Parts: sequence; structure tokens; C-alpha cells
Amino acid sequence: MSVSTPRAAPGRDYRQSRAAGFTYLAAVVVIGLTVVPLAFAVLGGFRDNAQINTSPAGWPHPWVFGNYREVVTSPTFWRAMANSTVIALVATALTVGLGAMAAFALSRYTFKGREGLYTLFVVGLLFPLTAAALPLYLLLRQVGLLENPLGVALPEAAFSLPVTIVILRPFMRAIPGEIEDAAVVDGASRLGFFWRILLPLSRPALVTVAILAFVTSWNQFLLPLLVFSDPNNFTLPLGVAAFQTQYTQDVARILAYTTASMVPALAFFVLAQRRIVGGLTGSVKG
Amino acid sequence: MTSRTGGLAPTATSATPAGRAHARPARRPGALRRRLELTLLLAPALILFVGMVLAPIGAAVYYGFFKWSGFGSMQWIGIGNYRRALADSVFQHAIGHNLIIAILSLVLQLPLSIALAMLLNRKMHGRVLLRLVVFAPYVLSEAITAVVWSLILQPDGLVDQVLKAVGLRSLIHEWLANENIVLYTLFAVITWKYIGFGIILLLAGLQGIPTELREAAAIDGASSWQVTRRITLPLLGPTIRIWVFLSMIGSLQLFDIPWIMTSGGPANASETMATYLLDRGFRRYEFGFGSALAVILFLVCFLFAVLYQRFALRRDTDGAMTRMVG
Amino acid sequence: MNVHMSIPRRWAAIGLASTMALTAVSGCSSNSSSNSGSNGGSVTLTWWHNGAQDPGKAVWQSVADAYHAAHPNVSFKISPIQNEQLKTKVPVALQSSDPPSIYQQWGYGAEAEQIKSGKLMDITQQASSWISQLGNAAAGWQVDGKQYGIPFDLHIVGFWYRTDLFQQAGITAPPTTMDELNAAVTKLKAKGITPMSIGSKDKWPDAFWWEYFALRECSLDTVKNELKALKMQDPCWVKAGTDLKALLDTKPFQNAFLGTPAQQGAGSSAGLIANGKAAMELQGDWEGVTMIPLTSDKNYASKLGWFAFPTVTGGAGTPGVALGGGDGFSCTTKATDACPDFLKYIASADVQKKLVTSQAATLPANPAANDAVADPTLKTVLKSLQSAPYIQCYFDQALSTSIGAALNDAIANFFAGKGSPEGIVKAFTQAVANQ
Repeated sequence: MSVSTPRAAPGRDYRQSRAAGFTYLAAVVVIGLTVVPLAFAVLGGFRDNAQINTSPAGWPHPWVFGNYREVVTSPTFWRAMANSTVIALVATALTVGLGAMAAFALSRYTFKGREGLYTLFVVGLLFPLTAAALPLYLLLRQVGLLENPLGVALPEAAFSLPVTIVILRPFMRAIPGEIEDAAVVDGASRLGFFWRILLPLSRPALVTVAILAFVTSWNQFLLPLLVFSDPNNFTLPLGVAAFQTQYTQDVARILAYTTASMVPALAFFVLAQRRIVGGLTGSVKG
Repeated sequence: MTSRTGGLAPTATSATPAGRAHARPARRPGALRRRLELTLLLAPALILFVGMVLAPIGAAVYYGFFKWSGFGSMQWIGIGNYRRALADSVFQHAIGHNLIIAILSLVLQLPLSIALAMLLNRKMHGRVLLRLVVFAPYVLSEAITAVVWSLILQPDGLVDQVLKAVGLRSLIHEWLANENIVLYTLFAVITWKYIGFGIILLLAGLQGIPTELREAAAIDGASSWQVTRRITLPLLGPTIRIWVFLSMIGSLQLFDIPWIMTSGGPANASETMATYLLDRGFRRYEFGFGSALAVILFLVCFLFAVLYQRFALRRDTDGAMTRMVG
Repeated sequence: MNVHMSIPRRWAAIGLASTMALTAVSGCSSNSSSNSGSNGGSVTLTWWHNGAQDPGKAVWQSVADAYHAAHPNVSFKISPIQNEQLKTKVPVALQSSDPPSIYQQWGYGAEAEQIKSGKLMDITQQASSWISQLGNAAAGWQVDGKQYGIPFDLHIVGFWYRTDLFQQAGITAPPTTMDELNAAVTKLKAKGITPMSIGSKDKWPDAFWWEYFALRECSLDTVKNELKALKMQDPCWVKAGTDLKALLDTKPFQNAFLGTPAQQGAGSSAGLIANGKAAMELQGDWEGVTMIPLTSDKNYASKLGWFAFPTVTGGAGTPGVALGGGDGFSCTTKATDACPDFLKYIASADVQKKLVTSQAATLPANPAANDAVADPTLKTVLKSLQSAPYIQCYFDQALSTSIGAALNDAIANFFAGKGSPEGIVKAFTQAVANQ
């Protein structure tokens, strides 16, 4: 389908430039609506609590650096960051790895009970982790996974599997059969095709599910709460709670803490989303 | 629209029928090997899934038949918990609130997500930054989102001050304290928080649509609206159907944001099935009743999923035989 | 320890904390079990308390260190756990085979429920020699005449108010009757001052109002007997709702109070008082400390005063009866006799004074430490506590968890204009039936 055609030079005709203008206008509005609350959080970390309430708009006055300083110099913060990172990476790797394998089997093999199996996985979507919390806790205790990062990562991966498979399956199906045929002609086995061709072609979808799994794990609160008692094992969301002052919710400090804890997740997104771009181009040109 | 593009339209992403292995049985290296491959591919995911997801569901079904505070003995009461739940007007309203959120998502969030995804898919300056910005709220944890928005929406908070500054004082409301408004306020916050998720999903789908298709249509004189309607949207179909599915399920399971921002109040005006479940089940230690509620929540989602699978997602399986070949 | 984290906070669906905690169901495990050093060997006590931050964290650590120094065979493994999380973890830990040896215990109905787990240690014997020094306060930690824990501090609910705003409105003395309170509301309103703040989003502050009206309308015997029997048959319970309706009709609260949290941020009900945006609030003794991070006004404490809940004309309630509670600890069956001995140490005047001076507690459980209370406003509070003929525990703590929560919900709905005085009583009866 290589329909290469000369592209109209942008901005040449009036209609196009107006469209471009509209695009940028829309972009500005979107940025505004998204950024203002975020800026409120980021700047909030530079205020004290009274300021947050009395002058929510505008710049902090005076700028309070103590909140951020306290966060980034606290060893608990970094330990929680490390715990969160390890758990999120393990959960993401498990979800994406096992999910891709299962989605491959469910999308490009025919076998008896395939749709039934797929439906079974979809069923998992219908049961939120919150609702499963108590039985899940009892289970983890039984198998001795309390106070263990795997006790959080495994269930997170399990609960992310359904959405992963639901997203990956149609994507893998969409990859033209001719590509597979060609691979076979070149002597690749079924699994070889999966590993060397299908996975790279599915990159945009893989990135999507990886981001979802990572973020879900990163923000998960309930599960780590149940699994960890030892403050040394705490993840960032648990750390936020422990970061409250004794007397109340110190909003400014919480905002500083969160802003700092958002950075790795955003960085992960930036790195990952680069890969979305142009992911499929190879396949369609094939 | 030319016949060329028109002919291609229904195919693309929606793809190869899953059963295409049928077409080439000869190629298969033998049943045993195939079985091995399938086991290798499926078993790990299946084991994890059955152990960590299905087993707890089973346990919830079991606990749902008991009156149990979490301490001491469990008392078998059959379907008593279910009867109590369905008779409770607060729970009935909670279901209604979930449905309102679901419908609003469909009517407002979906078009907005598609529009933004298409916008972000264009070549423009600062596209990467823009994507990052739109996605950022999704990265923010629910707890923090709720705290930040509570502050912004509190009386004389940021929203009120902005409205005052631009002379729209009359639009100021008790955003979280007025029972007629609170659900819509929460919907706005939810949209802000989750729209990034829909957008990356749709972006991935858009990446799958060859730019050549659009360009070719444009050269043939199609307006950009026509291109969108006749080419982009149909090709996005499978992705949109997945989004709708996930979004509906998410709406039915909505929990964190109302829980933190309003605790389901005032006067239960923002109670959802999940907040009700957590409140009765866990805050009040009615573990048996809570488990029954979890089962009901599950069944409601299940019902939706079955219907949706039957009437919408099925098209992804059966439709689109034509292959996209160059 | 920290006072304000007392019971009512259980329901405080405060932003984060709540997510957090609340979500949850269940608790946690304790890997850390104490091995019962049955052979007279060394013992490790695992200890869960809610002092996740200083001063509580540091004070409890130093208490443990001091005890360890005196009893080298007893060491501690302490887990300071944020309040809401602690409440989530404890029930599940009690179901497991591995609960902590000592954990924070708020007594009354919730304790009675926890006893059903069979994991709480009956310390009646071990405490018999020293429990009397805590006076009547220890009774809340008894079930069926047996001691299952002790309080380390006490709480009382009353009005915190801004002396400066009262002065501005020309109110010369704190109100002692409902009529005076209403008059004060009118005067404050005339000056454009918000008379009262309340954190209705969290529900339990609403409940304080109804419960106090009930204490004023119902005779003390009625309150004690009918709460015990789980029946609200006396018409006085409905009258409490009627009184509350009359109060709500005067519209004394801040704008959009239904969405206001109790303690979170400067816009919370506590923050409004701390910043002089409202004149008074019905809250616990902990409120003064709660305000510390909510205002940049360093002198806010000097502008605060305290007065008891006013009398209601014609009510059958014993004058001076107050609403309150306390924080305490329980030992579990995982612990050895070292645990009750450690509780004895916590109840001692020395430790009690330390708690008060460090602000880890506002009002000590052991009256021998009363001298340590220094703040003039808190002295008023203490006096009120001491002179009260009876302290009724907040109903949501006195009752079992599910009934208490149902009652709070009904009262909160009443604040939102839903339901009737009879409806509150009905909701209670319904919750009892569901139990």
C-alpha cells in the first residue's frame, strides 16, 4: 500500500492555514485546562497551607522551599521511590510479557475453547481490585507473600492482564497474514514469528499497555497498604500518607511530595511514548 | 470519495480474522508441537490470573452468603444480603449515579477524546510536549487528584475566584456541597483525570491508520471532515469499541474520586456502587454484606460485558475480511 | 497519642488518608510477631500505634527505650502507622494468627467487637493493683467487667471559639444556654461574621451536634440504658432531632459546609477557626493542636477560647454531662505478661506528664499528670472534663461499628436537609436489625 504522493505544502492554501490556526487554538485551550490544576499542585508545594487557601491563584508569595527540600532530602522518600519503582517494573514486565504471550495465542491460533478462554480473561475486568481486597489479602497471607514486593506486584500484574489482553488481541489480529506467511517462507517458526516480527510490529499497543500497567501499579494504594506493615517497604502512595503531619493533613507538604513522586511516572511516559510514534509504519508499508 | 479509498476503508485495523490459521493447515508442524506452544504461551498468564483474580472472586461469592463482621463466627443467611442490598434505596440511587456517569462518558468524553487524539496525531510544533501535558493527569494518583480538585473547588477557591475575575459571579455554585450539582462536578474531574488514558489508546489506534489513506483521499478532493468521517472513524472503530468497553466498566466501578472528594455525599448524592460497597463492607465491617455487594457489582459489569460483547465487539471478530495489502 | 486522632477520625474521610485507609478493608499482617518468651527469656513486643509523625513517634520511641532500659529482657518492634491505615489493618490482623502484641485501642463498642476475635488479652488480674489510678476513665476499656485495655489520654467535645470575633460582635460571655447561643449567632451574623464552622463532609462532626442534643434532652439513665439495649424508645431522641432542626434553621454554618472537610487544609472547619474566618466550632479538645499547620498566624492560640455545650431549656439531661472518649492500648494473646506491665508504665504519672508536655496528648488519662497541662484554654477544657458528672462516649464509638456509621449517616443526611428527627431514630433501629 505504498501510495506515496507528493504532499501539499502546508500553509499554502487559506483553508489549511486556518485549520492550522484552529489546531493551535485548540491546543492552547487543552493545555490551559490541563495545566492549571497541575500547576496548582506544583506551585502549591511552594506555598504554605494558609497561602493555598487565601490566594490560590497567582504565584506563591513568599516562595516556600521547605516543603520540597524536606521531601527530596528525606531518605524515606527515596526508599519509597525505589520500592515503587521495583514493584511497578516487575508488575509491568509480568503483565506485558505474559499478556502478549496470551494475546498472541488468543489472536493467531485457532483452538477449541479459545473464545471461552478469552471471555474468562475479560471477566477479570469486571471485578475491581478494591472489591477483591479482603479475599486477596487472606490468600496472600496463606501463601506467605506479605511484606514481600511480589505480594503487590503479582496481584497487580494479574489484575492488569485482562485490559492488556483486551487491547493487544485486536491489535495482533490486525497484522496482515501475509507478513506471517512471508516469515514462514523465510523459515521462521511460529514462536520465532511472534518474537521477531509480531512483537516489534505491536509496539504501539505494547507501549500503551505498558504505560497503563506501570501507572496503575505506581498509584496503587490499597494493595501495598494491606501487604506492607514495615515502613521500610512502603511505596510512594503509602509514603504520602505517612508524610502527613501528626495533627492533620499538611496539604502543602503533600503537594510537594506528590509533585516529586509524579516525576518518574511522567519520565516513563516520555520515554515510552517516543516509541508509539511511527510504531506501525513498518507493517503497513509491507 | 474515490473508490480506492472507499474500498479500503472497512478493512485496516479491524483485521485479519482470527481463524486464519485454518487457511493453511499444511504449514503446521504437528498437533503436539502446537499444543506445546499454546501451553507455553497461555499457561503462565492463566495460572497468575486464576490464582490472583478468579480465586478472590470465588471467595467473595462464598462470603456473600454470610452475615459476618470480620470477627468471630459467620452466620449463614443465604441470599439475605442480596435482598437487603436490592431493597436499599441508597444502593438503587448509587446504581443510577453510575449509569449517569457512564452515559455522560459516552456522550461527552468520547467525542472529546477522539478530537484530542486526532489533534495530537497531527504534525505540529510541540506535539510531544502537548501529549505529555494531556497525559500528565492520568499519571497523578487518584488521591492527589481528589485533594487538588477539592481545594480548587472549595468555596472561594480557584474556580470561584476565576469566575469572579471574569465577571461570571452568577455561575459560582457550591460545587461539592450541592446535591444537584455534585455528580456533574465529579464527572468533570473524572474527565480531566482519565481523558489522557483514552487519548493514548486512540493515538495507538491512529498510528495504525496509514497516513497515505488520508492523503490520498485529500488529493481526491475529500474535505478533512469527510476524510475523518469516512476513513479515520471507521478505521478507529475497534479502538473506539475497546475504549467504550473500558470506559463503561470504569464508570460502573467508579470509586476513588467520589470517595475522597465527597465520601458519597452530600446526602448520598454522589454515592456509587463501589463507594457503597467499601463503606458498608469495610468501613462498617460488614464483610458478608460487602462481599455480596462486590458480587452484585461484578454481575452488573458482567451483564454489560456480555451484551456489549454480543452486539459490539463481535464485529471485530467477524467483520472486515478484506485484507490490507499494498 | 495524638489526641485529635481520636475516634471520630475514624470516619474522617479525609483526603488522602482516606483513600488510603478507607478503601481498605483489611488489615495487615504482622509478620512481626512477638515470640512469647515463655521460658523467662527475652521478649519482643510488636507495637502498632498511630503516631506516624513526631511528636508522637518520638515520644513512644522514648517510652519504649526507657522501659527496655529498666527491663532489658523486653524489647520492642514498633510500627508507627498512620491513623486511618491503622484502623484498616487492625481488624484483619486480629483475624490472622499473627496480630501485634500491643495496638492502639479506642475502647467501648469497637473493643467489644474486637474481643470476638478471641485475640485480646484479659488484663483484669494484672492491672488490678494500678488501674484505679486512672479513675472512671478505665471503664470504657472494660467489657463485661473485664479489662481489655487502658486509655492513655481522654477527650471531651465542646465549643472552640475566637475571643476576638466574639468581642467584635459584642458578645461578652460565652453562651451557657441554647438561647444565648442563638443570640450569639444573631450578633455575629449582624457583623458579617460566619458564626460557626463545621466539617460536614466527614459526617462525624455532624453527629456531635445530635448526640449533644440527645444528652441534653434525655436523662442520663435513658442514654445509658437505651444505648446499651440498642433501643431508642424514649421520645427524647426525637426531640434531639427537633432541637437540631431548630439550630439548622438559624443557618449558623459557613457557606457550602456540606462539602467542607473537618481537618484537611486551611479551608477545613478547623482551618476556618484558625484563620478567623468563622467564630466557633463544636469539636474535640484536640482541635487546638489540629490548627497548628493550618494557619500562618503564630498567635492564633491566644485568640481561642472554649466553652461547654449549652443547656437546653426543659431537657431531662443531667447538667454538665459531656461527650468524649479517649485513646488507649490493648494487649493481644500473642503478648506475654510483659505487655500489661508495660501498660502500667504508660499509665504512670511520669509517662503521662511526658505525653502532655510533648503535645502527644492534650488531656492525660491519669489525673496525677493534670499539672502538666499548661495552655490556658486547655486548662479550661480540663476543668470541664473533671467537673463533668459523666462522660458519654461518642455514639459511633460506643456502639458497634456498623450501627455507629449508620447513625452518623442519618445525621449527616439530616444536615443536608434529608430526613426527619424520627428518621434518625429509625435509621438506628434499622441498623440494629441488620446487625
